[in-house]
Amino acid sequence: MRRMAIAALALIGAFVAMYLALYKFGAIGHLACGLGSCERVNTSRWATFLGAPVAAWGFAFYAVTFVVALVGTSPAWSGRREISVLLTVMSAVGVVFSAWLTYLELYVIDAVCRYCVVSAVIVTLILFVSVSDLYHSGRRTTPLLADGE
Amino acid sequence: MANNNPPRNARSASKNASGRSTANVNGARTGFYALLIAIAVIGAGVIFYLMKNPAAGDANAERGAQYDSLKANYAKAGPAQPYVVGNANAPVVIEEFADFECPVCGSYATVTEPDVRKRIIEPGLASYKFYDFPLPMHKNSQAASNAAACAEEQGKFWPMHDQLFAGQDAWGLQPDGATQVTDNPKPIFLGYAKAVGLNTDQWEKCFDSRKYQSRINANAAQGFRRNVNQTPTFYVNGKAFPGSIAYDNLKRAVDEAAAAPKPASGQ
Repeated sequence: MRRMAIAALALIGAFVAMYLALYKFGAIGHLACGLGSCERVNTSRWATFLGAPVAAWGFAFYAVTFVVALVGTSPAWSGRREISVLLTVMSAVGVVFSAWLTYLELYVIDAVCRYCVVSAVIVTLILFVSVSDLYHSGRRTTPLLADGE
Repeated sequence: MANNNPPRNARSASKNASGRSTANVNGARTGFYALLIAIAVIGAGVIFYLMKNPAAGDANAERGAQYDSLKANYAKAGPAQPYVVGNANAPVVIEEFADFECPVCGSYATVTEPDVRKRIIEPGLASYKFYDFPLPMHKNSQAASNAAACAEEQGKFWPMHDQLFAGQDAWGLQPDGATQVTDNPKPIFLGYAKAVGLNTDQWEKCFDSRKYQSRINANAAQGFRRNVNQTPTFYVNGKAFPGSIAYDNLKRAVDEAAAAPKPASGQ
């Protein structure tokens, strides 16, 4: 159930990131004088990371998270703790990255993009659910080990 | 042996439980897939709609239609005639697409551009081309572009350019960024014409007849051809820098363009 929630959140996050990435690539062009906060954030020099738009990295992150969570819901993988560990580590990295971006928005760029805030909230929720999933997966495995002994 | 009974009971209990839980799991799974499909359909639908209606995501929903009609008008415009300053033989060409009423263009023009002129243009490192790109939501922007074009007729585009940007608060947007300070900016522009030493009769005739509207349209058309979608947008030897730009970043771009083996044509 928790992994289903993670998959659903990741899918929403993927669409938010896709919207921003398409904007960055010019596919959702609109005339603006750079006054709006999203334009300022999305056209700042921090909007690119390792040669690709941050929004594209965000889309890739959500897409991978979605796939991992979806695989984790399948009968073959639903009991596997590795999925919980992977989701927790990935979402923790996502939260740290998101926190860094939020810091830049607040203290360096001095503009807040609402889509970035939505993404930050989604990745934080994913982390909470992932940690909960990790905790419960630990509890699930204990009786099985005890039975086996 | 003592271990056999409890596991059998446990197995049977687990069977019952798993019978119930299988039904629950199947139900949850069906609901889950339905939810994913709903998210995918809504998400894809919203993005498709925004791609078809470029400005629909903005607060001003009229912009989408305005964008399309402007684009259609500009498609008929002739070749661009930007306002040029600096050494025509400079190895680097900086091009700026700007809207006189855009506050970000204003802050660039008043804070950064003096440095650009003094340290890049005057030493001959680059020439500078200014293209009008009046945005539809700025009601006085076309008038301001006309005011500047009519100043160009008397060789005073750049002083008028500076006056217009420095005086934005008097004729442009209110601090809310949405409403205009005035519906009639002409008296203010006339004041600028006097201040920069223009023949005001000539300037006024030119301004009233919108004599250079086709030039303004042609400059904007150049922006549409290059997919400019925000102001200011800069090009340094053809490389795009959308949004405002700090002096250091522009200087770096100029230095890189000058060092490049084959600089591209500015146009």
